[in-house]
Amino acid sequence: MMLIPCPWCGPRDAAEFAYLGEPAPRPDPTAASPEQWRGYLYLRHNVAGPGTERWYHRMGCRRHLLVERDTTTNEVRPHRSHVGDES
Amino acid sequence: MDDTTPVARSAISPAPPEIVVACWAVSGRRSTGALTLTDASPLAKVAVRADPDGELAQALGVRFGRTSRRTDALDSVGTDVLVVGSGPGEWLALGAPGRQLALTEQLRGLLERRGRVSGAASAELVTVVDLTHGRALMRLTGPAAAELLGRECAVDLTDAACPDGSALRTAVAGLATDVIRDDWDGTSSYLLHCERSSGQYLFDSLLDAGTELGVDVDGFTTPSARDERRTMYDF
Amino acid sequence: MAMRLERQPDEVVDRDVTLTFTWNGRTYPAYAGDTIASALAACGVRIFSRSFKYHRPRGLLTASYLDPGCMVQVGDEPNVRGAHRLVEPGMRVRSQDTWPSLAVDVKAANQLVGRFLPAGFYYKTFMGPRRLWPAYERVLERFAHGGEIPDLSSYQRQDHRYDQRHVHPDVLVAGGGPAGMAAAVAAAAAGATVLLVEEEHALGGHLRWGGDDVRSALRELRGRVETAPGIEVLTDSVVLGRYDDNWVSVVQRGLPTVNERLVKARAKSLVVAPGLVERPYVFAGNDVPGVMLSTAVRRLVDLYAVKPGHRAVVLSANPDGDAATEALRRVGVDVAHVEDARRGGDIVRVHGRDRVRAVELGDGRRVDCDLVVTATGWTAPVSLLTMAGAVPAYDARAARFRADPAQLPDNVLATGGVVGDGSLDELVAHGEATGRVAARRAAAVGRRWRAASPTAHKQAGPLVEVADDAPPALPVDPHPELFRARTHGIVDFSEDVSSADLVTAVAEGYESAELAKRYTTATMGPVQGKLETVNVIAIIAEATRRTIEETGTTTWRPPYAPVTLGALAGPEREPVRRSPLQSWHDAHAATPLVAGAWIRPDHYGDPAGEVRAVREGVGLIDVTPIGKLDLHGPDVPRLLNLVYLNRWSKLAVGRVRYGVMCAEDGVVLDDGVTARLGESSYLMTTTSSGAATVWEWLERWLQTEHPDWRVHITPVTTAYASINVAGPRSRELVRRVVADVDLDPDAFPYMHVRTGTVAGVADCVLWRIGFTGELSYELHVPAGHGLHVWEALLAAGGDLGARAFGVEAQRILRLEKGHLIVGQDTDGLSRAGSAGLEGLVKLDKEDFAGRPELAWQDQQRDYPRLVGLRTTDPTVVPVEGSQVVADDGGIGGRVTSSRMSPTLDRSVVLAQLDASLAHAGSEVTIAMVDGTRVTAVVTAGLAQVDPEGERLHG
Repeated sequence: MMLIPCPWCGPRDAAEFAYLGEPAPRPDPTAASPEQWRGYLYLRHNVAGPGTERWYHRMGCRRHLLVERDTTTNEVRPHRSHVGDES
Repeated sequence: MDDTTPVARSAISPAPPEIVVACWAVSGRRSTGALTLTDASPLAKVAVRADPDGELAQALGVRFGRTSRRTDALDSVGTDVLVVGSGPGEWLALGAPGRQLALTEQLRGLLERRGRVSGAASAELVTVVDLTHGRALMRLTGPAAAELLGRECAVDLTDAACPDGSALRTAVAGLATDVIRDDWDGTSSYLLHCERSSGQYLFDSLLDAGTELGVDVDGFTTPSARDERRTMYDF
Repeated sequence: MAMRLERQPDEVVDRDVTLTFTWNGRTYPAYAGDTIASALAACGVRIFSRSFKYHRPRGLLTASYLDPGCMVQVGDEPNVRGAHRLVEPGMRVRSQDTWPSLAVDVKAANQLVGRFLPAGFYYKTFMGPRRLWPAYERVLERFAHGGEIPDLSSYQRQDHRYDQRHVHPDVLVAGGGPAGMAAAVAAAAAGATVLLVEEEHALGGHLRWGGDDVRSALRELRGRVETAPGIEVLTDSVVLGRYDDNWVSVVQRGLPTVNERLVKARAKSLVVAPGLVERPYVFAGNDVPGVMLSTAVRRLVDLYAVKPGHRAVVLSANPDGDAATEALRRVGVDVAHVEDARRGGDIVRVHGRDRVRAVELGDGRRVDCDLVVTATGWTAPVSLLTMAGAVPAYDARAARFRADPAQLPDNVLATGGVVGDGSLDELVAHGEATGRVAARRAAAVGRRWRAASPTAHKQAGPLVEVADDAPPALPVDPHPELFRARTHGIVDFSEDVSSADLVTAVAEGYESAELAKRYTTATMGPVQGKLETVNVIAIIAEATRRTIEETGTTTWRPPYAPVTLGALAGPEREPVRRSPLQSWHDAHAATPLVAGAWIRPDHYGDPAGEVRAVREGVGLIDVTPIGKLDLHGPDVPRLLNLVYLNRWSKLAVGRVRYGVMCAEDGVVLDDGVTARLGESSYLMTTTSSGAATVWEWLERWLQTEHPDWRVHITPVTTAYASINVAGPRSRELVRRVVADVDLDPDAFPYMHVRTGTVAGVADCVLWRIGFTGELSYELHVPAGHGLHVWEALLAAGGDLGARAFGVEAQRILRLEKGHLIVGQDTDGLSRAGSAGLEGLVKLDKEDFAGRPELAWQDQQRDYPRLVGLRTTDPTVVPVEGSQVVADDGGIGGRVTSSRMSPTLDRSVVLAQLDASLAHAGSEVTIAMVDGTRVTAVVTAGLAQVDPEGERLHG
C-alpha cells in the first residue's frame, strides 16, 4: 500500500485518504460554455507518468492536499505548494 | 450541577456494577489486570478551532501532534486540563467530569483576557464547541497497549514515532479516532476519542482484539476509591 | 514406527512425548515435532494422495511445505500441507479426493483414458452444446480436486478465528537461513528493530540438515539471534508479497489462539533471503512414490529420523546429492548405485506403479530399488525481488534464473542463496554486510518519516543521507543444466502436467511461456511454480528450439504462499453506529433496520398503527442519525448561498430554512434544514446517510475554493439525541416537559428554532419542522440525556396515546405528504428539476454549486419529472423500481416510492416520468414484476394528505 505524504500528519497509508483526482480549475459559472463546464466536470489528462493529484485525508487531519504521483511507478512526493508549510 | 440534573449515560454500556460518578452512570468494576480498557466518556471534552499559527494557538501553547497538561490559563476550572493538538488549527481540551461549561467559558474567553492584558482586541475567528455528549472517550493502559492498538491501527506507535504526549488521528478498527498517548506513571496509556455513536463498537472491537493479550475492563474510578494509583477522575 | 531410525544428532522430534492421531480412520503414533508426513513415513506409509488428473498414487517429493504429494484434510480443514503441519494429539487426518479409498481409487481409471485428458482439456472438451453444461458441471464436480470445506456454521463458531496485526520494523528479513540470520543480527547490532520471518518451524535453513560441519555454526547463529536486542522472530510464517513503499504482508501460522494471522508490515528496509529451492527432474515415472529430492532425504533422515527407503539409487549433480548419499549410507540404506550427472550419468525411467521397483539408467542398465533420489539443480525463489522490480535473467553457467540486486530499489536488498553460492562463512559475511546496509538505510528512512510527522520529538540537526556500500558479491557456482531426461515425465506435480503436454501445447501454437502455462495449467496449482517453473521454461525452450534466455520466464505475483481468506479478511470490523436510544428500541421489540452504518428501529410490530397514532394523536421517532453540523463564522451565509440552491443571506436569528444541495453536475446531493442560532452561529442538518458527504463537500469548498472565508465546521451529529414529536397533540405533549420556551404558535411558529430545557435537561435545541406533514417538534437533546428525555416524553404522553414510531411509519407518512427522499426518489442523474425542486433554484444568484447545469436544464424543459400516481385499483402497490411503460412501449419512467396508506386506505406512489407523461391527469401504465400491467393517473401535486399544509402549520 502506498504512503501518501500528508503535509500535516506525515506519511500515512493511502487507505486513510480519499482520492479526488487531478485538480481541475473551476470556470466562471456565469460565463462558462457547456463545453468548458463539462470539461471541468469530466475531462482529465490522465497521464501515464508524473502528475498532480488531490487527496483528502479523511481518517486523519481532514485536510485536502496535493501530491505529485507517477502513475507508472506509484512514486509519490509532496506537491511543491506543500514544501514549506501551508496547505 | 444540582440534584435535579438527570444522570447522563455514555455510549458504552457500563460493565457491572453500575455506579454514578459526577452525574454519569459508569462502571464501578475494578480490574487489577496489566492491560485495561476504561470508558472515560464522562470527562469534559471541548473542541477548539482557530488559526493554526494564530493568537489562540499561542495562548494554548500546544502544536498539532502534541499534548500539554496545564492549569495556568484555564485556572478557574480548578483541575488539570489536557490540551490536545488534535488537528491543524484544531484542539481538544479534556477536563474533569462536569466541568465542560466552565472549560468552554474559559476557552472562549482566553483571547479576550489576553486582549485585556495587551490592550489589543483579537480579530481571530475562534470556535469552541462542547462535545462532551458528542464523543466517546476511552483509555487503554498497560505495557501491551501499543501491541493491542497495532491489531487495529496501521500507524507506527513505537516510542520513536509516537512518544508520550503524542496526538494523532487515524483509523482504529476502521473508525476515525484520535489516538492520544498519555502515559500514567511511566506505564503506556492511550486515550481514544471517537464519534459517540461508534463508541460501543470501538470499545467492543478493542476487547475482542485484545483477548489474547488479556485486556480487561476497568471502571471509571473516583479519587477516593483508589489512592495508590492515579485515577480517571483526578485526570 | 518401522522406518524410524535411532536417535539422530539434529532431529527435531521429541522422543519423550508420543502422540496418537488417525490417518484415514486408523490410529498412528507420532513424536512431538513430527509432521503428519514424517509420522506416517516413519510407520511405513508411502502413498499420501492421488494426483489431480490421473489419480496416480503420490508419495513424498520434497518433504517440505511445498510437497505437492501430501495435501491432506485435517478435521474440517482442507488442503493442509502434510509435510509441514505438525501432528497434534487426536488429530483426524484423511486423504483428499479419493474414492472409495486411497489404496483403491476408481478415478485412477483416468490414467487409462489419459488420451482424453490432453493439454487444454478444459478448453477442448466442454465447448458445447450449451444445454449440456449442467451435466458437464456434475461430472467436473465429482472429479474436482481438493479437500472438503466445512459448512458455513462452523466458521461462525469461535473455532475459526483469524486476525491481523500491524508492525513497523526497521528491517524485515524474509528467510531465516544462515544469511538471513546474519543479516538480522547485524541489523539489530546497528540499532535497527528487526522482524525475522521463517517459513519452517525453526531457524537455520539448510544448516539444519548440514550435519557435523555446521552444527556449531548453527547453534551460534541461533544464539546470536536470540540474544540480540530488537529481533522478533516469526517461525511457521511466510512473506506473501511486497507492495508499494515496502508494505510487506506476512502470514503467520501455528498460533494457539487463531487459525491464521495476517501481519501487515511497513518495513523501512526489506532483506530478501529465501535461499534456494531444489528442482525435481523430469523423466518417465518421476512421480512414483519413492522418487524424491536429495533435500527430502536429508530432512527425513536428519530432522525426523525416518528411513526414506531400503535400497536407493541416487542421481547426483552437486555436493548436496553427494551429501544425501552419505546420509543414506550412514543410516544403513543400501545405496545400490550412484549415477553422477556431472559425468553424463542419467536416469530415464522408473518401473513400478504404487512404489518404485527398479530404475532404468541412461545407459540402459536396470537397477532394482525402492528409492530414487535426484539432485539435479536449484531454483532461486525470486518472487519478492520481482515484486520489487527486478527482472531475473537466466544464468546458463549456474543453471538457474538470478535477479540482479542492482535493479532493486534502495529499500530492498537480497542475500544468501537467492544471490549466489559460497561457503558458509561467505554467506554469513554477505548476510551481515547486507544487514548493516539495510539498517543504515532504514535509519535514514525513519529519520525522514519522523521529521515529517508532528508526533515525534524533532531530530536535532539536518537530515544527513549517508552513502552506503553495496555488500560484496557472492560467488556463483557452476552447475550442469539438467531439466529433463530423454523420456517424458511429470513437470507440474500439483496440476498433473507432463512434459509431453507442454510439447503438445507448443505444437498447437502456444509457443509463449505465458500462453502455454495457461493452456496446460502448468505452474498454476498449489505449488505455484516454485518447483516446476524453470523446468516448464526449459521444456518449452526445447520444443520451440529456442534458448531459455529467449523463452523468458512467467510473472511472479503475490501471494508467495497460500493464505486463507479468513486471514485476509481479518476479524469482522465494520463500524456500527448506535443511537443513545437504541437500548430502548431493543427492549421494545423494534425490528432493526441497517441504514448505512446506523442501526435504526424499522418498526415496533405495527407500522400502520404507528402511522395512525401520528395522524390522530402523537408519536415519537428517534431521528438521531440526521446529520448535524455546527457552522460558525462571519462567512457562513456565503457558504450556504454557495452550496444550497436557494438564498440564505437574510435568514434571521431563530429562523429555520429548508435547502437542497446539488453537485457541480446539477444532480441532487442532499437536502435538509439549517437554523440560525446566533449572530454567526448556525446548525445545519443533512439526510441521515448524507452527513459525512455533506461535511466533506463543505470542507472541500472552504479548503480548495475559498480558503479566505472565515467558517469553522464542527460535526455534532451524535452530540444530540434527536427526537421528532409529531401529531396533532404534539404541542400538548411537548408543553408538559418544556418549561422555559413559549410554545404558543404565534411565539414559536412553523420553521422556527428555540433553545431550552426539556425534562430537566438544559441546552436542548427545539425546531418546529417535520417530515410527516403533522404539527411537530424536533428536539435535539445532549446525547447522554437522550434516553431520559425519550422516556420522560412517553411517560408524560400516556394519556395522549403517545407511542414510538419507526422508520417504516415515517416513510409512509412522508410519502402520504409527498416529501421526497434524496437517493430514493432521485438517482445519480436527477437534476433539481427532476425532483420537483425547480422553485428552489435561484438562477438569479451569481454562483452556487451546479448552477450552469441547472440553468441549462431550465432552458430545456424536457427533463424527467417527479410526480404522484394514483393507481386505478387502490389496492395495488407497485413495487418500487417498477417500470412505467411509455406510449411506444419503451420505458417512460419508474416508480420511486410506493406504500399502502393507512390514512387514505389506498396506495400512494411517487414516480419519475418522462416529461411527455408527467402531466396531471394523464394515464400511465405500470409494468408489475409478475408481468401484469396496471394503470395509474398522475396526481395534481405530490402530497396526497393535507396538500394545503394546514396540519403542519397549526
